[in-house]
Amino acid sequence: MSKIGNIPVNAQNGKKRTNPLAGVFDELVQFCQSRSMFMLHYCTGCGAIELPPAMTSRFDMERLGIQPMVTPRQADILLITGYVSVKTLKRVILTYEQMQSPKYVIGICSCTVNGGMYWQSYATAKVLNEYLPVDVYIAGCMPRPEAVIEGLRRLMGNIENGKGIAWKDYFQRYDHYLGNQQHLFGNDWQTPTDIIGEARHYGLETEQTCGEHSRILEQHQQPLEPYKMRIKL
Amino acid sequence: MSVLDDLLLFTALASVAIIVLRRFAFISKFSVVVYVLATVLLIKMSALGYGGEAVYSSFTVNVLGQVLQWRFDALSWFFALITLVVALFTALFMSGAWGDKYRKEHSKEAYGLLQVALILNVLSMLVLLASGDLLSLFIGWELVSWASFMMMALNPDKVARKAAIKYIVYAMAGAMAILMAIAMTYNMTGSLDYVQVMQGMAQLNNSQIAVLVSLYAIGFGIKMGVIPFHLWQATAYAETPGAGAVFMGAISARMGLYALILVIVQIIGLTRVAAIEIPYTFLDMQNALAWVGALTTIIPTYIALKQNDARYLLAWHGVGQGGYMLLGVMIADSIGTAGGIMHVFNYATYQAALFMTVTAVIYRTGTSNFSKLGGLVTQMPLTFMVMVVSIIGLAGIPPMNGFVSKWLIYRALLLDGQPLLFVAAVIGTLGTILSVYKLVHNTFLGQLRLEHQDVREAPLSMLIPMLGLAIIIFATGVMPGVVLDWVAAAQIAIGIAPVEHNLGGIELVQGGLNMIWVTGVMFYGFAVGAIIFYFLGGKSKHIHQYDNYAGGHFLTSKVRYHYSNHFYAGLMHLIGGWYRNIFIKLEYALVSLVSFMSQLSENFYRSSQPAMLVAAIVMLALWYIMSADGSAPVLVQGLQGGMSK
Amino acid sequence: MTSVTELLAELLLMPFIAFVVGLAMVLMYRKIAARLQRRIGPPLLQPIYDIVKLYGKETQISHGLIHDIGLVMAVGGYVAAEIFLPVPGMDGIADKGGIITLSYVLMVPSLGLALGVGQCANPNGSIGISRALTAMLAYDIPFIIVVFGVATHYQSTSLVGMIEYQQIHQWGIFEMPLLAVAGLFALQGMMGKQPFEIYVAPAEIATGPMVEMSGKYMGGLFVMQTFQLYTAGVLYTSLFLGGGANWFEFLVKIFIVVAIPMSVALVFPRYRTEDMVRIMWKWPVMVALIGIAFVL
Repeated sequence: MSKIGNIPVNAQNGKKRTNPLAGVFDELVQFCQSRSMFMLHYCTGCGAIELPPAMTSRFDMERLGIQPMVTPRQADILLITGYVSVKTLKRVILTYEQMQSPKYVIGICSCTVNGGMYWQSYATAKVLNEYLPVDVYIAGCMPRPEAVIEGLRRLMGNIENGKGIAWKDYFQRYDHYLGNQQHLFGNDWQTPTDIIGEARHYGLETEQTCGEHSRILEQHQQPLEPYKMRIKL
Repeated sequence: MSVLDDLLLFTALASVAIIVLRRFAFISKFSVVVYVLATVLLIKMSALGYGGEAVYSSFTVNVLGQVLQWRFDALSWFFALITLVVALFTALFMSGAWGDKYRKEHSKEAYGLLQVALILNVLSMLVLLASGDLLSLFIGWELVSWASFMMMALNPDKVARKAAIKYIVYAMAGAMAILMAIAMTYNMTGSLDYVQVMQGMAQLNNSQIAVLVSLYAIGFGIKMGVIPFHLWQATAYAETPGAGAVFMGAISARMGLYALILVIVQIIGLTRVAAIEIPYTFLDMQNALAWVGALTTIIPTYIALKQNDARYLLAWHGVGQGGYMLLGVMIADSIGTAGGIMHVFNYATYQAALFMTVTAVIYRTGTSNFSKLGGLVTQMPLTFMVMVVSIIGLAGIPPMNGFVSKWLIYRALLLDGQPLLFVAAVIGTLGTILSVYKLVHNTFLGQLRLEHQDVREAPLSMLIPMLGLAIIIFATGVMPGVVLDWVAAAQIAIGIAPVEHNLGGIELVQGGLNMIWVTGVMFYGFAVGAIIFYFLGGKSKHIHQYDNYAGGHFLTSKVRYHYSNHFYAGLMHLIGGWYRNIFIKLEYALVSLVSFMSQLSENFYRSSQPAMLVAAIVMLALWYIMSADGSAPVLVQGLQGGMSK
Repeated sequence: MTSVTELLAELLLMPFIAFVVGLAMVLMYRKIAARLQRRIGPPLLQPIYDIVKLYGKETQISHGLIHDIGLVMAVGGYVAAEIFLPVPGMDGIADKGGIITLSYVLMVPSLGLALGVGQCANPNGSIGISRALTAMLAYDIPFIIVVFGVATHYQSTSLVGMIEYQQIHQWGIFEMPLLAVAGLFALQGMMGKQPFEIYVAPAEIATGPMVEMSGKYMGGLFVMQTFQLYTAGVLYTSLFLGGGANWFEFLVKIFIVVAIPMSVALVFPRYRTEDMVRIMWKWPVMVALIGIAFVL
């Protein structure tokens, strides 16, 4: 729990954007990012049942510009709505890695915070932010829609103030997260996504991106180089 | 010696030379030179394409009091131009790597025969196009049929041989119909010369014209593969060896259209055809032929949609596109005819290019089966580009040339007030769009197969003709006026008012078309789109195809993640049951009937009771002698009458 | 088209107006949806927030060059199509093409998108495209019959000519009510809204063509949607509602036209592909053919 809100921010990378529009209209983009959030609800547990009322006429999330999306490519927020078993966590991580930055993770229910009522379970990942950088936790078993919306508003505030940059941490300290993942899944853990490559491509790489764990990964990694379009006669 | 003499003599001599030299390695370069020179000779006659006088051959033959002569008018020149240009591109295509591979896989002789078949096809087509009377037309027709047969029969495959035999049976049936029609024409008008026949036609009554038109339409229609004679063409062309299929698919079947335009539009005249009412329908004969064209666009196009092999898909489209040409010609106003004739050119360019791309894919991967391809765009980008340009043409979407000719046909149908034909033409176009996307998707898009990771781009000798054709497709799409000049000249030659056009398209008070503007605006749009895409958005990263959304599933090379089987499943749920194979069953029934009859007569003939045969003959003789008034039966009368003449 | 400057202004302004009006239409769609579901709905500038956000994404994936070019074609094709659509005071180059050209230019963005999605190597996308093309086959047949009837009635294929005729005589909807009804039905399919949104089918094939679209790619699709709604509205208005004598009248008309299918959409579930084809080939085709019989 102590790790929450303690994400180290790399000052040099704080303002570096690959998008020329973002360079000029930085604040505008941040404002729009906070006002338009496409969410992917990964309905892992009982918390999912609180989302329909939050979306529909009673509370209407669309007022805040939040709407559900279908695939991780399109989404900005990943909602984890309950306990995460080890098997599920693999899919959650893949889904997270397939989302495009800036991306945010919200852990809903106590299970994502500390394992909740599954804290004894051998098959459940207890603390979500050991594996993914979580932006906001919404504790409760289960949190009411008001609490969910409150959490989303907190995230909006963070984004607007430029504090919603936990996603960068995943690129910058990938070795740390990878280590935790390997610890749980074993050393042959690999997703089809290429986080290190992305970190390099977008200039988000730090000395902590690669390390001992990524070296283990490299030993057995299937090549992830895209097919280059080439004219070889 | 006229230029036409030069052209025909040169091609004939070149054919002899290629037959003699076919085993040598330099034959591929030699044939390219031959087609270049032949094209140059043709271009010397280019005045024809701009309204010049017909060019006559100085060579004539006298047979049975008939003068056989050869000549080129604007229509022949237009078709000959397409033929020679396609032949040139085909020869270029097969001159390099493809030819080498074919030689290696089969034999030097086989490759030589392919070259021989190509030049013989070209020669026979030129002879047909140059025909100056009905008899020389028939000679040219037969030559074309047998030359096509030779090309098809080069593939030793069982399917291919069977298709070739099927073709020649159809072709002979068609030739018989034409021969009969020519004999009847001679009988009725007393001449075979085009001009005299044309004058003679005025004296014929409607029923005579109806018989003549039906026979000619059947004969020429078989070559074009119109409904209900469409069954032979697709398999035969698809199974022709690669480069041969390029040539055959692009132009061979259009000889039927040429002859049909010549005889039915020019000589008989569509006003006469339109005057013939078909009993028990609302249709006159011209409309009926237009409907044949419309059905030919629809049925083969939707058969193409179901194919699972790129060659077959294209070959079926070849049949279907013929329907547009017939439809356009049968509208009979200046715009529709222009559309129909122009479509021959446009079709030849993109069909040749499409067959080339498919052949290139086969060359590199060894298959054209959709279930075994996919994702080749990264490996063969230029081939992909050519295919995209050509399918845009085939589907009739601006700015490629196929759009212009289809636009003319639509416009003519609109002006003519033919809603159902218009809808039929559009149904054909929509089916084309569906199946060309299937073609390009299942070959080039989607997931790349593991075994194709090292596939390379098609070799330069194949790329150059492909790219050349792609440039023609685009250029004549932007500036259709270039082709419309020739088309207008051809229209004058067949006695139809020429289409009023300019470089960019046609001008009409009620809404015209200017492709230069259309293309300009489209590219302006693309430029805006590119600015939005590349400058307003951030950097993107190319990723591996296994980094893909699969509902949280981890993709690897072990599981194929690609959709190509049963591509239009939803549509086929509805229309799948409409494919009844009626024509196949009809053909089968005909074949069964013929084989039954022949077996019956064979059994009778070989019967081991000769006494019965004798008895039967005696009976017949007795019946003949004892027939009531002693006059001969009708059949015999007819024979006597024929002899006494 | 009197001068070069005017033409240049039109080239810039017409797509821009289409975009702005289209944004308002997207907002209207979402507001109607919200009202029908007794919600409040998104704030006024929500469509802009979405698009800016999507273009402001810092990372996005591309599956290759054709994926990129496909998006360029999809947006660019619509930008071009808007210039063929006459609006009050601006004819663009409408007289160079007419309705037939316009309907085929409108296929260019779909083709571009289809190629782009194809390269994503995602079967959900390919299924989506195969369904979208089937849907096109379904709604284009009634639509093309309507176009035929309208062009025959006005004796012109030029949209400018049609609008002039209607402003002198009477709106097309009064002269050809059956064709107008069939056209509205086809419009529902063309807009890709329920009950004919089988090619998106979020829960089934994960939004079909949009499955691998992220950041500016998705943004391109959002821009395309604005154009799509605008085009549908203007096309129908030009064919049946007499275009617009002034901007106010014009805007009122196109918003009403677009609002009808939107309201219908939100109270219907989805048809299966073959059911969509069946219904499109049955009712609107029948109505349109009867309508044509009156026109001829």
